[in-house]
Amino acid sequence: MTIADSPKWKYLNRILSRKGPFADEDYDTEMQKTFLDDSKVLVIGAGGLGCEILKNLALSGFKDIHVIDMDTIDVSNLNRQFLFRASDIGKPKATVAASFVMSRVKGVTITPYYGAIQDKDQDYYMQFKLVICGLDSVEARRWINATLVDMVDNNNPESLKPLIDGGTEGFKGQSRVILPTLTSCYECSLDMLTPQTAVPICTLATIPRQPAHCVEWASMLEWPRVFGDRKLDDDNPEHVQWIYEQALERAQEFNISGVTYSLTQGVIKNIIPAIASTNAIIAASCCNEALKIATGANPYLNNYMMYIGNEGVYTHTFEHEKKDDCPVCGNLATDYTVDPEWTLEEFIERLKEKPEVQIKKPTLVTERRKLYYQGPPQLNEQTRPNLEKKMKDLVDNGEEIAITDPGLPFSLRLNVIFS
Amino acid sequence: MAPIASSGAPSSKEKKYDRQLRLWGANGQNRLEQAHIALFGATATGCEVMKNLILPGIGRFTVIDDKLVEEADLGVNFFLDQDNLGQPRADRAATLLGELNPDVAGGFRIDSLENILSNTPGLLDPRTTEFTHLLLMSPVPTPLLFRLPTEIPTFFVHSLGFITSLRIHTPTHTIIETHPDSLVDLRLFNPWPELLELALERTSTLDVPESEGGMSDHQHGHVPYVLLLLKYLEDWKQSHEGHLPGSYSEKALFKSMVMDGMRTNVPGGSEENYVEAVRAVMGDLRTAQLFNGTKEVLNDPKCQNITSQTDEFWIIARAVKDFADSNNGLLPLSGAMPDMKAESHGYVALQNIYRAKAHSDAAAVEGIVRGHMNRVQHPKRNQIDRDTIQLFCRHANFLRRLNYRSIADEFSHCNEEHKRAVLTALGDWDAEGSLIHDYIALRAYQEFYTSHGRAPGDTGHESCEDEYREIRRIICQYLKDVGYTEGVPERCEKVAKEIVRAGGGELHVTASIAGGIVAQEMIKIITRQYVPINNTVIFDGIASRTQTFEL
Repeated sequence: MTIADSPKWKYLNRILSRKGPFADEDYDTEMQKTFLDDSKVLVIGAGGLGCEILKNLALSGFKDIHVIDMDTIDVSNLNRQFLFRASDIGKPKATVAASFVMSRVKGVTITPYYGAIQDKDQDYYMQFKLVICGLDSVEARRWINATLVDMVDNNNPESLKPLIDGGTEGFKGQSRVILPTLTSCYECSLDMLTPQTAVPICTLATIPRQPAHCVEWASMLEWPRVFGDRKLDDDNPEHVQWIYEQALERAQEFNISGVTYSLTQGVIKNIIPAIASTNAIIAASCCNEALKIATGANPYLNNYMMYIGNEGVYTHTFEHEKKDDCPVCGNLATDYTVDPEWTLEEFIERLKEKPEVQIKKPTLVTERRKLYYQGPPQLNEQTRPNLEKKMKDLVDNGEEIAITDPGLPFSLRLNVIFS
Repeated sequence: MAPIASSGAPSSKEKKYDRQLRLWGANGQNRLEQAHIALFGATATGCEVMKNLILPGIGRFTVIDDKLVEEADLGVNFFLDQDNLGQPRADRAATLLGELNPDVAGGFRIDSLENILSNTPGLLDPRTTEFTHLLLMSPVPTPLLFRLPTEIPTFFVHSLGFITSLRIHTPTHTIIETHPDSLVDLRLFNPWPELLELALERTSTLDVPESEGGMSDHQHGHVPYVLLLLKYLEDWKQSHEGHLPGSYSEKALFKSMVMDGMRTNVPGGSEENYVEAVRAVMGDLRTAQLFNGTKEVLNDPKCQNITSQTDEFWIIARAVKDFADSNNGLLPLSGAMPDMKAESHGYVALQNIYRAKAHSDAAAVEGIVRGHMNRVQHPKRNQIDRDTIQLFCRHANFLRRLNYRSIADEFSHCNEEHKRAVLTALGDWDAEGSLIHDYIALRAYQEFYTSHGRAPGDTGHESCEDEYREIRRIICQYLKDVGYTEGVPERCEKVAKEIVRAGGGELHVTASIAGGIVAQEMIKIITRQYVPINNTVIFDGIASRTQTFEL
């Protein structure tokens, strides 16, 4: 049964069948109703935002929804991920969320995939009308953003997949609409993220002052010293307990107060506070935009909304501008000022600190030479000596460096400008 | 719940609520668990709000509704389902909502607000009610709004098509934990003797080279910037007849004076503690000042007349005022200090000076509180809550007091303050797109419903010209009442059309956004943390923006 003739969709159908005063001039009430019936959409993430998004889409008339999530359910999800119960702990989020919504809302099909977005290729992503992201990872967002930008084929309008992205922290959140290649993309706004200010290792090693310094000392320095190559698992309570005890002992040695188990967990897992109500606002805002894009019932967001609920309610809705030198959707290489005396290693360290770059294990090449390769081993060995060399001996002023990183599905282009 | 343990692994409850306890702590969680919310109207919006309150663990909830589950509910409300078509909505919604959190007690009542107010008024009588907060879903005929108890915090919500609004009324709302970005108060212009003493002692050989028995480069580069600034301020005072650098140009001069003290023949060519000191000059060098929120609290009449009935908050506020009056206007110190370049022991020593002062200030305030309580024979005089006093003192400059206009006053047709608020919003330079027009259209919807018993546009027809004309007539009348003479603004007309378009129906996405906004505000009121709106917020789902008005 279509939306138009089902009593279940009385209210939605009423909106769609009446032309609103804010809608586009050529809004066609007859044609728009069928759009929802054949819009296949993809939801990335089945966590705090994802659970809400799946519910919202199902109750907005979307019939064919796919969801991808690589996580399993943890007890700390239950205060907001409302499709999960205590008995679901340990099961894949995507599967549990999909079957819950399908059992509650009749007539919707939700296809879960328990895995990483990187497992899927462009053919897979090509089948959807639009993509909604409720993710907590910068890396995954950059990947899907770059993939959707790359898929745009100017000769095929169907290849442009609107990307709607949401994120929250405490009482704050943001939602945005990205039309790949046409409007500002996720990469264009990367510098809006607050840079992670790392505490210098020497502070951790010799002069801790804050409880967090003690925790970082225990996890970054003491753990590898005692356990060597064994990886610290921040989900393993025994590991967290060990870090907590070491941190506490160190704090006592330096008369620092405030090391608790909760703080320890917060620091090593980089926990961001999250509540149901903020997720509801942001997820629903994303789906509101999806509904408007799919039906044309009203104009959609152009292109960014911030919601701040700490003090009163404040929203900032604005158009984030596309960057000409965006490494993903722009067509220019970014200028980057470099001290010719830096070694290649220093250059790489500085790149890692830049909020608009955010790379972890870069491989660098220019047109004429391989600067540094992370792998394979023989190339790594061959290029490793370059790390010690000065920039002026490796590249010319104005030369372009291409940087690839396992976290990025695109290569970053920088124009070296000597200072 | 048990207080958050300072050591050892978390309890199962702490694990489940970890992500929210990091926001409102055990204090806020305890208050949530004491709340009993009454939801009037098991609408999609009402159920979405409840979902966002049940998940974080309110104590109890009661769903009050007298309708049966219809087919149309299934397309909009996630907490009603096909298996229960024709059954009471209240029952089914309470069950499905209750499944969200086994720690929350849920109940229902097949009833309506009107019937309760007429036949079982005890349920909403502040002296006998079990409900701590009332959550009302539109439509509610206006006369009923006049009969609501003003003593119980009330949240009244419209959710129509793409537009939603929330109106809050609560008795005077006071907040200690407002969660400002920072509680840091360094008192650099008003150092107390112990702080100044530490500064002069730790900086006595600052300018002496190591070769002449002065500080090594390492020591010099690790003097906390707070102590550097205090030392250089003393030097400045000596050369400026005891005056402090107050103006912008004086601060600029002071900056270069600090810079001159930096050792530059060190690795990197500069010292981080000096860089921090210079960076703090413009922001941290100022006379301690009372912020507006705190001024309002300390000047509130409730502070003046303490009686045996006075709430603890106001007695502590009075004590803080007394403290400040006898302390050159300075509030009790927060004791908070930022991280800064320093050696561990130097930093901890400085931190201890700040903490000790905060502690002794709070103790002094506690003494004053005790004095007032004994004087008025306050029933709680033998159980003074030291933790609350310390919390209060820590936040002394970030307090808030919100007085709300009653809903009856808003709808009384003769409240001058309400009229002024509407006129001001209509006269703003950017009024064209203002959501005040949405408010006016929603108010007309409310009046239409009150006189017709149904929503405008709630018909099978696609065109609703007559209904729109009636809404527009109501808008004209209201604008006339508030004294607006420039005709019906275009946005008012458009929003009115959009409201008629919805025909009283909800969209799930809007219901869900409203569910989030309303739940956030309710959590702020219930936990007495963060700052809620006063008194109306509107969300426009067409342009995706909000605006707040005091109406």
